[in-house]
Amino acid sequence: MGLTCFNHIALEENMAVETMQSYGPAGPDPDRGMGEKLMALEKRARLIYTLEVGLVWVVLFVLLTLALMLLNFDPQYVVEHFNFVFQGLWVTIQLALISIAVASILALLGALGRLSTNPIAQGISGFYISLFRGTPLLIQIYLIYLGLPQIGRQLTILGYPQLGQMFTLSAFQSGILALSLNYGAYMTEIFRAGIQSISYGQREAAIAIGMTRLQTMRRVILPQAVRIIIPDIGNQFIAMQKDTAQVSVMGIWELTYRANRLARQESKFIEMFITAAILYWLLTIVSAWLESRIERRLAHAYER
Amino acid sequence: MRRPYIVMTLFVMLSIILASCAQATPPPAANKLEEVKNRGVLIVSSDPAYPPQSQLVENATRPADTKCSGDQVTGEELSGFDIDVSKEIAKRLGVEVCFVTPAWDLITAGSWADRWDISVGSMTVTPERMVNLYFSQPYYTTPAAFFVHADNTSFTQPSDLSGMKVGACSGCTYDFFLAGTLQIPGETMNYVVQDVQFTGYDTDTSALQDLALGDGVRLDGVLTAQPTGAGVIADGLPLRQLGEPVYFEYLSAALDKKSSKDSIPLAQEVSKILQEMHADGTLLKLSEQFYGLDLTTAAGAFDLAQLKQW
Repeated sequence: MGLTCFNHIALEENMAVETMQSYGPAGPDPDRGMGEKLMALEKRARLIYTLEVGLVWVVLFVLLTLALMLLNFDPQYVVEHFNFVFQGLWVTIQLALISIAVASILALLGALGRLSTNPIAQGISGFYISLFRGTPLLIQIYLIYLGLPQIGRQLTILGYPQLGQMFTLSAFQSGILALSLNYGAYMTEIFRAGIQSISYGQREAAIAIGMTRLQTMRRVILPQAVRIIIPDIGNQFIAMQKDTAQVSVMGIWELTYRANRLARQESKFIEMFITAAILYWLLTIVSAWLESRIERRLAHAYER
Repeated sequence: MRRPYIVMTLFVMLSIILASCAQATPPPAANKLEEVKNRGVLIVSSDPAYPPQSQLVENATRPADTKCSGDQVTGEELSGFDIDVSKEIAKRLGVEVCFVTPAWDLITAGSWADRWDISVGSMTVTPERMVNLYFSQPYYTTPAAFFVHADNTSFTQPSDLSGMKVGACSGCTYDFFLAGTLQIPGETMNYVVQDVQFTGYDTDTSALQDLALGDGVRLDGVLTAQPTGAGVIADGLPLRQLGEPVYFEYLSAALDKKSSKDSIPLAQEVSKILQEMHADGTLLKLSEQFYGLDLTTAAGAFDLAQLKQW
């Protein structure tokens, strides 16, 4: 924090110097050297700090590797079977990407319901959040995969075969539905907080220039709210990537399924679980980096 | 105005429902057997978590001309005793075999919603499972046998373990045998071991590992499948089998009682095929290939009619 403030002062000083320079007569500015020196010092301090943090990472990584070497661990097995587990990565990414998109839509609808004064909308979204946030994801997966088709069967018996068929989802669809409903419930509160964080004056201003409620939401509130909630959505996305492991119970060949079933062949559980863990870790590192890029991009308009 | 939101949501939901109604209906089939033949594909469930019955094949390539859908696995991608039996059943039905790989408890739960036609997963025929599932002619048997530590000299027959510390997987048939409550259709139980101090384990192999710690250290004996015990002895655990097997479990293919199309004709056809495979020695050959011994003859002699399923 101290460093960042320092940076600002140095920058401002330097800019002030340059502005003055353009007005004043030609010739070297006596203060310029001072500013440059401060900037160089600050840059060096920042570099040293980054190196120090990096060194801590390296030390921790070496310690972790040493700990792993204490386990009964066969690196050769990982090398030989890495490719088979790796093929599950794309399925995991697909599951997470589609689910976060659907969850965002659900969360937006849920948040609008939460903020509405209509008792039906308020009731539906409140009930939805309570139900899906209050039960374990794994049980939701079982109920959607095993339970929904039974409702469909009753509908078929009642004479709506096409409608009944809709309730029989494939394993992949069931996984996406469960992940979306579960994360949508959590994200509803994030969206609600984001929308509420936009000051009421903006809403009044929008109404004053004759915008409808829908227009206000779409053109004024949401664009600003999205910027605020992006870090939280990114956080949920990372959490979801790891929760996709739970859909392996339905036999989807994603990372965890492949690692687990391969491990059972020669009892190489530690090897395969570590392989999967590394892949999840790398995936979340890339996601976190992408999220920070988006965050910075959306923050452009607010930078000084 | 907030009404439009609700109206819009309802409208979207309604249009989704209507859109689904417009989908084409599949060609009608009178029962599961006809449906499988029309489709040209037999969808089999098998959890590749239990070698040598079923396991993954690495670096397998999907055949280009396969009729299996994207979330199904082709016969090339799995291997094992159950897998080879499935392939042979499909071949004799004149269709291609495709596999799905849900967890074991989803298979035994029944109500498969037509996601797969049959389970060829070494499932023991039990009265509890018969509530939800139809069973085919058994294709092999697993003998259940007691194992003790190799250092032990005092035990000579299973009944010597009465009152001793005996372990087994909890909730499985071995657990029920030791409790004296096991019922296997077609078999008269003789509970030779009684009043044991029972310890339940998550899997049979953990029980065997505990027994291998030493004679009487944690356990005096373990009841498990004979091939499982023989397998760990081959891997070097200091154990020995105690006497003859105490009972046999019959392992069958299973079909869903609650499928939309009647699955009895398919169950009967598969039973007929399995009987032929018993008769012409196909199953015996596979048993010797995967287990090194004959586990099939008793299963061929099993009288399926006594289950009174149809």
